[in-house]
Amino acid sequence: MKCYRGKMVYIDLTNEKAEERRIPGEYLLDFIGGSGLAARIIFDLVDPKIDPLSPENALIFMTGPLTGTIMPTGARFTVTAKSPLTRGWGEAHAGGFWGVELKKAGYDGVVVVGKADHPTYIYIHDGEIELGDASNLWGMDSYQADVELKRLLGEDVRSAIIGPAGERCVSMAGILFDIRPDGPRVAGRCGMGAVMGSKKLKAIAVKGSDKISVEDPARLREYLRRILPSIMSFPTTQLYAVYGTTAEVAPLYIYGDFPIKNFSLGVWNGVKNLEAEVVAKRVVKGHRACFNCPIGCWRYIECEVNGEKVIGRAIEYESLGSLGSLLMIDDPAKVAKLHQVCNKFGVDVISVGVTIAWLIEAYEKSLIDKEKLEGFEPRWGDYRFVEKMIELISLKKGIGELLSKGVREASKAIKGSESFAMHSKGLEIPMHDPRAFKGMGLQYATSNRGACHLYGFVLRVEQGERVTDLGIHERVHRFDFKGKGRVVAIMQDWSEVIESMGFCKFLQVSPGHVASIYSLSIGRKFTVRDLHAKGAAIFNLKRMFNLACGMSGKDDNLPDRLLKERLSDGGAAGHVVELDQMLKEYYDYRGWNKDGYPRRETLEKLGLLKLLMESGFETYRELLDKIH
Amino acid sequence: MGALELFSEDELKDEIIRISKTLYDRSLITALGGNISARLPGAREFWITPSQVFKGALKADDLIKLNLDGEVVEGLLKPSIEWPTHAAIYKVRPDINAVVHAHNPMVLGLTLAGKKLKTTITDEAVILLRRVEEVEFRFPGTTYLAEAIAEAASRGARAIILKNHGVLGLGTNLLEAEAIVELLESIATIEFICYTLGKEPAEIPLEEIEVAKKYWGL
Repeated sequence: MKCYRGKMVYIDLTNEKAEERRIPGEYLLDFIGGSGLAARIIFDLVDPKIDPLSPENALIFMTGPLTGTIMPTGARFTVTAKSPLTRGWGEAHAGGFWGVELKKAGYDGVVVVGKADHPTYIYIHDGEIELGDASNLWGMDSYQADVELKRLLGEDVRSAIIGPAGERCVSMAGILFDIRPDGPRVAGRCGMGAVMGSKKLKAIAVKGSDKISVEDPARLREYLRRILPSIMSFPTTQLYAVYGTTAEVAPLYIYGDFPIKNFSLGVWNGVKNLEAEVVAKRVVKGHRACFNCPIGCWRYIECEVNGEKVIGRAIEYESLGSLGSLLMIDDPAKVAKLHQVCNKFGVDVISVGVTIAWLIEAYEKSLIDKEKLEGFEPRWGDYRFVEKMIELISLKKGIGELLSKGVREASKAIKGSESFAMHSKGLEIPMHDPRAFKGMGLQYATSNRGACHLYGFVLRVEQGERVTDLGIHERVHRFDFKGKGRVVAIMQDWSEVIESMGFCKFLQVSPGHVASIYSLSIGRKFTVRDLHAKGAAIFNLKRMFNLACGMSGKDDNLPDRLLKERLSDGGAAGHVVELDQMLKEYYDYRGWNKDGYPRRETLEKLGLLKLLMESGFETYRELLDKIH
Repeated sequence: MGALELFSEDELKDEIIRISKTLYDRSLITALGGNISARLPGAREFWITPSQVFKGALKADDLIKLNLDGEVVEGLLKPSIEWPTHAAIYKVRPDINAVVHAHNPMVLGLTLAGKKLKTTITDEAVILLRRVEEVEFRFPGTTYLAEAIAEAASRGARAIILKNHGVLGLGTNLLEAEAIVELLESIATIEFICYTLGKEPAEIPLEEIEVAKKYWGL
């Protein structure tokens, strides 16, 4: 299985111990890599009961079997840990070059446990693992830290860095990769940066010189050469090449999917200023690509806002929403500026935008005392205010202390504000309004990491895409709720496969091709059905982690705004999400009971029951006792 | 079981590749369009062309062997998304061992213009096509399309016209299925010429057709 390195770096920061550990072959075969393999390792290492910011949490960086291979877009990797934001399964993804470099250095992944007694960095290079003193870097913003780290170790290392928000364990802090010269790429969601900060780990630098091979390189190369032309002709792939993810703004706005003013409006003229062509003219100066990517969705921004420069990667579909329309800011340069501020402090653009939008609305509804805001006056469309809030959140200062916990925790402290605190399981909702695509509502409510748009991205099916390889032959209407349970579960399970493989979902490779590519890479034959079954097992293992963390079916929920409030205009006018009806169907399809627990026979069928029974943690056995 | 021994699977695969190239060279399929399958007579498994690979230059190694439930038995590439259609035909028609699906422009042109293809304008057509069915548009690759085609096939069709899509030739062997697809295009071209000249295509006199039907037991 040449596409794997078969080893990971295991670092115990408490004891300043670094070692290589072999990854058992059955882990690779059963859980593929990336997110799936990380879930298997977390299952071994992390007691679901622990505090996410305690030394007992494990922070795992994991590549997939196709990361760094000749597979186009093979640049992806996953960061996982118990999340301080959701207090359950936490996971974030990134592309770029860092994961590839790690694999070239000889490892599929890095596991970090414990807590250093002083700021530390890790340097992994061609089989060597070093721990270094990062006291000089501590306190620096991510860009400065990147400069300093590379001054220490050389310009050619690839870096993973946290900003001041991660250092302060801000629940929505992310991890930034490959910051300069064009970056960064960010594993933003679920507060993985906070977990890194809790371990006093400022950075992980990697450098490697190996080549990543596969079992049948000649045949894989031939196969890829022959299917790539048709894959590259897929419409969204080509749109992403031209406009990046900003291409989605205009079409999704027509559906009523692009959220405005904290998901309270369906129509807003400002959106036309955030559409791809305007963004391209106003702020985009070029495009860049991750390792071995023929698409190059990564927009390179150069612009100026009030005399301050914005340079690098600082705009995406998600930030045009979360730092734009959601806050009624309609200037792409200002969005780019705010995105860059988030990058400097190292916070997730989605979580930050959603939390600030909630704050403005709560203030507008007179639910927040003015004194709490220390003279700041929240206003829609005021980018200076948003910029200041990003800083306060990242530094946990003033009102930022409350906001830094995420919108769920913040809204608990402000009576009457929970109905418009836009999150599921504590993870802030991304920039797709599920009243426009009801399956997305079910997806958000049931995703293991909380409101997640990536695992499933079922709106594509609801736009009319049929995924015949996975048995979705029917035309699915976006406003229907019947039949969505099955479709969402199928798509989520397949996403587990993709996020475990190490290539990018923007490359529209159909499941049948994925099975062939993986088979040629690993040297064993796997069918779509085999892989899909693994995806279902991975999804359910993460579910069991969440349940063992104390979650239940009650946490498969959405804010009242989406369940009860109808937009008066726009493409989704008059609709709410019929979650209960969809959930019932979903639980039935998955073989879960009415409370959202996988039945014993389901766990057995997925090959998880024995694993859970033999867990080293009592928590799982206690959970199994509840499942009859 | 004699026929099973007469031909090998390798020969079937070579024949599929030859036909794919021929159809492409004749513009009956486009670079990525069309699909072909065949099985040894009566077998529960069949070989099919791959998805999203250039159809003018396939290799034997590209083909995929599936069982009638669509499970991959041999081969590494992704099978054509139309495999459900092929499997459905084999399930309902034990006499059929080869299915050729092409996108015949003349047949589609006439059909979409509202002209029903006349299948009794040449003797070859009478003998070879026998029964031609039409199926309304269903999205390619779906079970809905497969079900509609299986229903048409179960009525004894040897040629099926898929509206807004293409044609299917069903043969006891690959050569026959290929010939049916080519013949459909040939008679459509003849009829197009007639219509262009402002004439209705003249059919073979009815009594001759009756004789042929009686003689051949059609």
